[in-house]
Amino acid sequence: MRILIENFTKRFGADTVIDAMNLEVADGEMLALLGPSGCGKSTTLFAVCGLHVVDDGRILFGDEDVTGWSPQRRNVGVVFQSYALYPHMNVFDNVAFPLQVKREPGPAIRRRVSEITAMLEIEHLLERLPAHLSGGQQQRVALARALIRRPGVLLLDEPLANLDARLRLDMRSEIRRLQRETGITAILVTHDQVEAMSMCDRIAIMDRGHVHQIASPADMYRNPVSTFVAGFLGNPPIAFLSGRVRGGRFWLDGSTAGIDLPGGCEALEDGREIRLGVRPEHVRPADSGPLSGKVSFVETHGRENLYDVTLNGGQVLRSIQPVRGDIAPGQTVHCRLDTDKLLVFDREGTRL
Amino acid sequence: MTPGKWLGVLFLMPATLFVVVFFLSPVLLTAVFAFTSMSTATGVGEGGYLITPSTLHRLAERGMDRSTAESLGATTYLVNPETLSRARAAGVAAATLDELGQRHAGKSFDGRRGFERALKSLNNRPRSVRALKQAARHFETSVLNRTFGQREDLLAALAASGVRLSDEDRERLVDASYTGWTWTTDNLRRMFGTADTAQVLANTLIYVFVTLILFNTGFALVLAITTFYLPTTEAAVFRGIWFLPRITPPVLYVLLWKWFAWDTGFLSTVLGWFGVASRNWMLDTAFNAWVFVVLINGFVGASMGMIIFSSAIRAIPEPLFWASEVDGASRWQQVRRIILPQLRWPILFVTSYQTLSLLTSFEYILLATDGGPGSTTEVWSLAAYHTALNNYAGNLQYGYGAALALVLVIIGVVLSLLYLRIFNFDALVARPRIET
Amino acid sequence: MPRARGSGIIVALLAAASAPLVLMYVFLVIETVGEAPPGQLLPDGFTLENWRFLWEDLPGKANIWAVTLNTFIFASATTVIVLAVSSTAGYALSRINLPFRAYFLAGVLVLHAFPTVTLIIAIFLVLQMIGLYNTLTGVILVKASLELPLGIWIMKGFYDTVPWEIEMAGVQDGASRFTVWRRLILPQVTPGILALGVFSFLAGWSEFILPQVLAPDNKVQVLSVYLAGLIADDYDLNFALFKSIGLFYVIPVVILYLFFQDKLMNIYGGGTKG
Ligand SMILES: Nc1ncnc2c1ncn2[C@@H]1O[C@H](COP(=O)(O)OP(=O)(O)OP(=O)(O)O)[C@@H](O)[C@H]1O
Ligand SMILES: [Mg+2]
Repeated sequence: MRILIENFTKRFGADTVIDAMNLEVADGEMLALLGPSGCGKSTTLFAVCGLHVVDDGRILFGDEDVTGWSPQRRNVGVVFQSYALYPHMNVFDNVAFPLQVKREPGPAIRRRVSEITAMLEIEHLLERLPAHLSGGQQQRVALARALIRRPGVLLLDEPLANLDARLRLDMRSEIRRLQRETGITAILVTHDQVEAMSMCDRIAIMDRGHVHQIASPADMYRNPVSTFVAGFLGNPPIAFLSGRVRGGRFWLDGSTAGIDLPGGCEALEDGREIRLGVRPEHVRPADSGPLSGKVSFVETHGRENLYDVTLNGGQVLRSIQPVRGDIAPGQTVHCRLDTDKLLVFDREGTRL
Repeated sequence: MTPGKWLGVLFLMPATLFVVVFFLSPVLLTAVFAFTSMSTATGVGEGGYLITPSTLHRLAERGMDRSTAESLGATTYLVNPETLSRARAAGVAAATLDELGQRHAGKSFDGRRGFERALKSLNNRPRSVRALKQAARHFETSVLNRTFGQREDLLAALAASGVRLSDEDRERLVDASYTGWTWTTDNLRRMFGTADTAQVLANTLIYVFVTLILFNTGFALVLAITTFYLPTTEAAVFRGIWFLPRITPPVLYVLLWKWFAWDTGFLSTVLGWFGVASRNWMLDTAFNAWVFVVLINGFVGASMGMIIFSSAIRAIPEPLFWASEVDGASRWQQVRRIILPQLRWPILFVTSYQTLSLLTSFEYILLATDGGPGSTTEVWSLAAYHTALNNYAGNLQYGYGAALALVLVIIGVVLSLLYLRIFNFDALVARPRIET
Repeated sequence: MPRARGSGIIVALLAAASAPLVLMYVFLVIETVGEAPPGQLLPDGFTLENWRFLWEDLPGKANIWAVTLNTFIFASATTVIVLAVSSTAGYALSRINLPFRAYFLAGVLVLHAFPTVTLIIAIFLVLQMIGLYNTLTGVILVKASLELPLGIWIMKGFYDTVPWEIEMAGVQDGASRFTVWRRLILPQVTPGILALGVFSFLAGWSEFILPQVLAPDNKVQVLSVYLAGLIADDYDLNFALFKSIGLFYVIPVVILYLFFQDKLMNIYGGGTKG
């Protein structure tokens, strides 16, 4: 089912936490709401499931305006960060609860529960209380409970935040598999960019109540609309250099080095202050060249090494390279940038 | 309104009902009653009109014409259809009555002698002296000692009595004869005007502050700090002992103290072994009575502070203590530099809370000394109780008692509002996360 | 931390301060079955004479079992009302987004700290007017109402500790708020209900002033009034008899205390009257 959020505004007292937000999630799509803590992701999610009252704007499921509907009526499955399993009920009762409150007949409930628990591979745990389950198992129970009513929409609020690194990897693919299998429209809230990029069809990136960009992970990585988006995606993160345009080239502040601008940017007028975004994988060592600096930090990731290069003039460039032993901290190096991969932003951070 | 909110309203309804009927309305009524003259004599319902000799006496003292007062007090004998039929109903011979009616209809006689003479002079006079006297009784009319339900009834009776009253005197007479309660500010005037009040006020202040400082805060602190340094078993034993008074029903708890202090009790027996004459240690002197009032309340009051302070001390991070041990601080320094500063808020809380509790509690004093000896340990709330609900004289003055209680009600409201401010009420009202 | 250092002195001092209490409670038990001649403290014989009130009525007094039954009815009815009303009102105040919620809460807090005994004169007159004077019903309603602010406050506190996510999940699963309360939230606060229940029962069982003023009649007498009346009427103070009755009176309290010690500490520590 398609979800459409139109001009959604949310205030808490005098604070406007979300101001006229627009977002569309296509039928069967999985969309990530990505953003730093406090940017309004959960608030958006709660508005979609009906727990929060919408101060302004509309929310549509399919073509139906559900803005005034109660949460009970919306038929939305939600998985909370803490899973929110009912501690006094065993797994069976937890999973069956949504059907029990609909007063479905017992045999039908049992059939449906065994179906969904089989799908999530927790059918052997039905008698257990939540306190006696591991984090991953609890997560699966929460998913089963959210899906048992065959909701039109599945909302996941940081579902992986409480898992250890290994399990997180497993559950990532597990959730994605389920979503594909059921064809359900899903919104995943997360502040982990890796999670967003690996699990979702598209990402909506939020900051302070605004959606900056909605795009597929690859698109967003390649073509961020702002320094905020560029900075949020990518690990190790992008480096920004500030400087001015002169003669169709970029001149680094506090240095005499000139850098070629990518295609389409030659027309920028002289003297304009801009920022250049350089991803670490687009910085290469060179034997010579105008751009040079001192290696100030080296960090190994196993297969690759990450180098921080403090350029003449004090700005820092980051480079990721296959492991090599010939560059040590303190050494002076020359760098070459992949010109057509450079990202150009204006002083306020908007992409040019 | 969403269904969720209706549920909220529904869930709050019973509580609201209870609180309004048995909590808020008594508060308001206390304020109302404080401005009435309600007492056992007036009752709480509507009163009637009754003129007694003492009413007349009072009015005469306040300047009503003496002869008017006397004639109101006198008994007159009236011959009219009403009295005649009354006598007939009581079985007085019909012939006598018929003749009386013919000869004296409408007449009034001032005094028994004259009327009896008139009766004797009838042809069909009653046979015996006794019958004569009995017959005469039915013609007595007096406004004295008769209860009239309504003001109009009294006015009619006054008019019928034939006594001539000035309008002003009639008003005064009617007002003075009203037996129900009236609106008045006398209670407040009396409260602020008598020496008794000053005495009770002083008692209250002594009771509250001495108990509070010595026990409810002071000894509670001592208990919390000392048990903190004791091994767990000993600490638990002492905390358990000091918690006992709190859960013991007050009647039994005070009984134990009585046994401890009475002339046949523990103290007297033990001191008797050393030749001290047995006596009632609780009530023999005012000073002793105060000692016991403070001890009895203090032993109960110490436990709340003890519990709160203990958990506050346990919440102090252990490393703070380790650090001070390393610095070589003594126990006393530890208490002064680490524990006491951390207990500032709990101490303020317990002190303010217990001030209010002590101010308004009188159960233990009532059971122990009942305000005695004399009224040396009579505190404000007990005075209100005695005045309105229980005293030896038997005349319960609800109005005045309510006025005394009203003072406590006002202090209570003001203090609780103040505490709400101090203890940051807003922090307790988090916004519900389900908004529908 | 070397807590044991110097604790001998502390123990001695505390023991001295606690001595009166210990003596009182020890002799409470001893004296009820012991025979001690006048002027002697420790008994030299065993007797059940002081317990005769159990099988024969004391002159001019109500039957002890009837009085005990009254007390039980009084305490349990109060408890039931307090529990039912606080567990609903506490939930509404903790969880439901109502207008004026803050005022309700402030009201509850003010009433909680409020001197209830100061209302007794007005309550006495109200009960007389509505004809509930000298009935158990009247005094039960009054006692329950006076306990309510504390009860509501305590229950609200317990509801506050239940994670919001459970409630949200229940609503998302299609359950009405009532079902959520009944099936999901109420089971989480059973410790609170238990604690409040025991607390209210003890408070009702021990209550003296209210029944004394509002229901003093022999037919509706409760144990506290019975015992207090006995003490007030007897000039010689037969302590052994009183203590036997007192011990009989306090047994349920002791049992409940032993079972629910920790829970009670929490509530008493949370700030109650006294
Ligand atoms: N009930 C509330 N009352 C007032 N402000 C609130 C409330 N709930 C959220 N906010 C504010 O709204 C903003 C957005 O909150 P939200 O919970 O949506 O953030 P989030 O993006 O989910 O963050 P996180 O990643 O930390 O969960 C925050 O600034 C928060 O302080
Ligand atoms: Mg969140």
